[in-house]
Amino acid sequence: MALLNDEIRGQVAEMLAGLPNKVKLVTFTQPENCPYCDLIVELMQEVAGTSPQVTSEVYDFTVHKDKVAEYKIDKAPATAIVGAKDYGMRFFGIPANYEFGTLLHGIQLAGHGHALELDEATKGFLASLEKPVHIQVFVTPTCPYCPRAATLAFEMATASDLVRADVIEAQEFMELSNAYNVMGVPLNVINDKERVEGAAPAYMIVEAIKKSI
Amino acid sequence: MFDFKVAEEPRKEAPSGGLYDYIIIGAGPAGLSSAIYAARDGMKVLVLEKEVVGGLAATTELIENYPGFPEGIAGEELMERMRKQAERFGTEIVEFDEVTKVEPVKKGLIRVHTAEGETYEGKVVLLATGSQPKHLGIPGEEEFYGRGVSYCATCDGPLYKGKRVVVIGCGNSGLQEGQNLLNYASEVTFIEFLDHSPAEKILQERVMNHPKATCYFNSQVVEIKGDEKVTAVVFKDRATGELKEIPADGVFIYVGYKPDTEFVKDLVELNRWGYIKTDEKMRTKVEGVLAAGDVRADNLAQVTVAVSDGCKAAMTTREYLAELKSEA
Ligand SMILES: Cc1cc2nc3c(=O)[nH]c(=O)nc-3n(C[C@H](O)[C@H](O)[C@H](O)COP(=O)(O)OP(=O)(O)OC[C@H]3O[C@@H](n4cnc5c(N)ncnc54)[C@H](O)[C@@H]3O)c2cc1C
Repeated sequence: MALLNDEIRGQVAEMLAGLPNKVKLVTFTQPENCPYCDLIVELMQEVAGTSPQVTSEVYDFTVHKDKVAEYKIDKAPATAIVGAKDYGMRFFGIPANYEFGTLLHGIQLAGHGHALELDEATKGFLASLEKPVHIQVFVTPTCPYCPRAATLAFEMATASDLVRADVIEAQEFMELSNAYNVMGVPLNVINDKERVEGAAPAYMIVEAIKKSI
Repeated sequence: MFDFKVAEEPRKEAPSGGLYDYIIIGAGPAGLSSAIYAARDGMKVLVLEKEVVGGLAATTELIENYPGFPEGIAGEELMERMRKQAERFGTEIVEFDEVTKVEPVKKGLIRVHTAEGETYEGKVVLLATGSQPKHLGIPGEEEFYGRGVSYCATCDGPLYKGKRVVVIGCGNSGLQEGQNLLNYASEVTFIEFLDHSPAEKILQERVMNHPKATCYFNSQVVEIKGDEKVTAVVFKDRATGELKEIPADGVFIYVGYKPDTEFVKDLVELNRWGYIKTDEKMRTKVEGVLAAGDVRADNLAQVTVAVSDGCKAAMTTREYLAELKSEA
């Protein structure tokens, strides 16, 4: 059975119609310890099926080492959302429930090739970055506040070549979540140092980035 | 288990500004229902929300007693629908901006100031700021917030798969959200201050008889212990005075709510618990300033009630605008 019903498929098609650039969804699966890999692949293919601008590619994390290196993937399941160039947007795990919106937002960003919702001050700050910034956002599919944090990170990644944004579905990466003591979501971890709990406005993330570098 | 749906794109256009007929503070059920009525009635309506649209109602997994949804509806989904309905009639919504001051200037002109430094002007202002989860104020609670202490089981429950959690408070909220936690956790221990649960019978039956659930009544939590994260909860048996410590990975606190009225405490009349006093038309003592929903004194904390208050406030606003017009 299709994951997206006709109504949702129509809405997704409308959202993704007329993107200026092509978008690739590059998914990495693994043969073991991946209860949702089949679901993720099917979801990406169904999403790609709604728009001529969007395609889906699937690789095995344990086999396709060249692709793993190209997209700097360190764990699976993972999906890189890639536009005219790789803006550094990654989704680890299944983008389900509230997080489906995060995936769609990421596709729109990649398709437009520029941030869609950042204010001028934040864009200005990101343009002045000189060092790489790694934002990890831990989420769960049932958390209503999480897409705020996740899409903000994706916006920032799109705005600057130096920002990489990993959105991580915490339940599927329990070891990592435990290592970062993720006991509440959303949790933003910036450059492995600064933690921002909750869906914070852009200026708070900017402050945390400043502190971390 | 999973679902895939398309949420409305957040609106990011700047509000149109100028003089609003009706400024609503708080985008929970009370604020949004009032916006639906007022905007549909042709008023120029602005909603200011300090966090995201939805209010407390959006943080609950399933609402089973809101009429019209025989299977129940996810809190967030219900609120998303209210938002769409309000926007359909032209309501402007600003998120992530907290109102810090409401300043009546003269009849028919009230200024609303926000934390981001914006000032908006309206003829009528509705206080629909609801309430916030109460904190216990015990050692460990602040320290371990986000590291095992949580006030949102819907958000954080999935992180406690196979873990031991404690729910403090056996009222409606505690049991309802505890029910959700029973889906994930290996054990859920409920601790209640009173010697019984004040919750609805149906919730008590579902939760208390669950094989993974243990309940302690007449018990007061005194400390949350941990190192990097929560490791244990200490509570006192109020009958014997005996202290007990139980190991825990997570603590979910549902010990009631307190109204969000700090910013208007010198403006409107509050009762001793900080709730806003109004008449039946939702009017406070200050002309042009109304209140609705959980924030109102002697109200039931239910979505249906908040929605009804919102409707009444919109009607009062309509009457008042007509009065202003006839005087002008
Ligand atoms: C766990 C839980 C389960 C529940 N289950 C049910 C149920 O099953 N059925 C039911 O009917 N009810 C239920 N409720 C109660 C219901 O959620 C509330 O009664 C309802 O949300 C009240 O609506 P409101 O609009 O008055 O306030 P709220 O929903 O609290 O909304 C107020 C809004 O105002 C915002 N705000 C506050 N201060 C400011 C400020 N200064 N500036 C700008 N914005 C501000 C807040 O951020 C918030 O979004 C439940 C509540 C909880 C916590």
